[in-house]
Amino acid sequence: MKEIIAIIRPNKVTATKRALDRLGFPSMSVVAVFGRGKQKGIANEVAVEISPIVRGLGSFKGMPYVPKRLLSIVVPAEMLNKVLNTIIKVNQTGDIGDGKVIVCPVEDALRVRTGETGQAAIL
Amino acid sequence: MKMVRAVIRPESTELVVDALAASGFVALTRIQAFGRGKQKGIDSGNVHYDELPKNLLMLVVEDEHVPQVLEVVQKQAKTGNFGDGKVFVSPVDTVFTIRTGQEGV
Repeated sequence: MKEIIAIIRPNKVTATKRALDRLGFPSMSVVAVFGRGKQKGIANEVAVEISPIVRGLGSFKGMPYVPKRLLSIVVPAEMLNKVLNTIIKVNQTGDIGDGKVIVCPVEDALRVRTGETGQAAIL
Repeated sequence: MKMVRAVIRPESTELVVDALAASGFVALTRIQAFGRGKQKGIDSGNVHYDELPKNLLMLVVEDEHVPQVLEVVQKQAKTGNFGDGKVFVSPVDTVFTIRTGQEGV
């Protein structure tokens, strides 16, 4: 089993959910998070001129964090590539700030209601 | 690659984030969290607080950079009192940048 942690734009959550639903993975956890990438926040993320007067104020460093949504999905290892490709395809706009997808190993899972473990717990 | 998740005091978050950026680890995700440690929360007068507000910083770094990140986090977040937080390091298989679809941090 693998955990897919996708950090994506907030307005892409619905589209991602729909696409994953069609693949047969309707279950996920979504967390509202704040983050930044190599660009150090939003100042360099959008093509807006920031007036030199504002820049000269010293404390102005742009917006250090950008609101994102973190999706956590646990899938069987053999379905990993299919889910990954779907997430990347749906969320790709080509602009900076599309987000990252992180794949982590998961050892076991437990469905609390029935006590099932392993693959049966996530499917 | 490793994922470093640091649960730290909210007031030391900016210190840690700025120090990490100065060391070259700019990209991270910040999550507001509530939790407790071995002390089961805190007693303040007659009031018992079971869960205390913390910030969770999550970043993915190459294996060889993990000690450096841990050192920076500890240097900035340490006050010596209970509640300074914990850092967890866990394995990561791969990372993809959605914009390009390329693998790698």
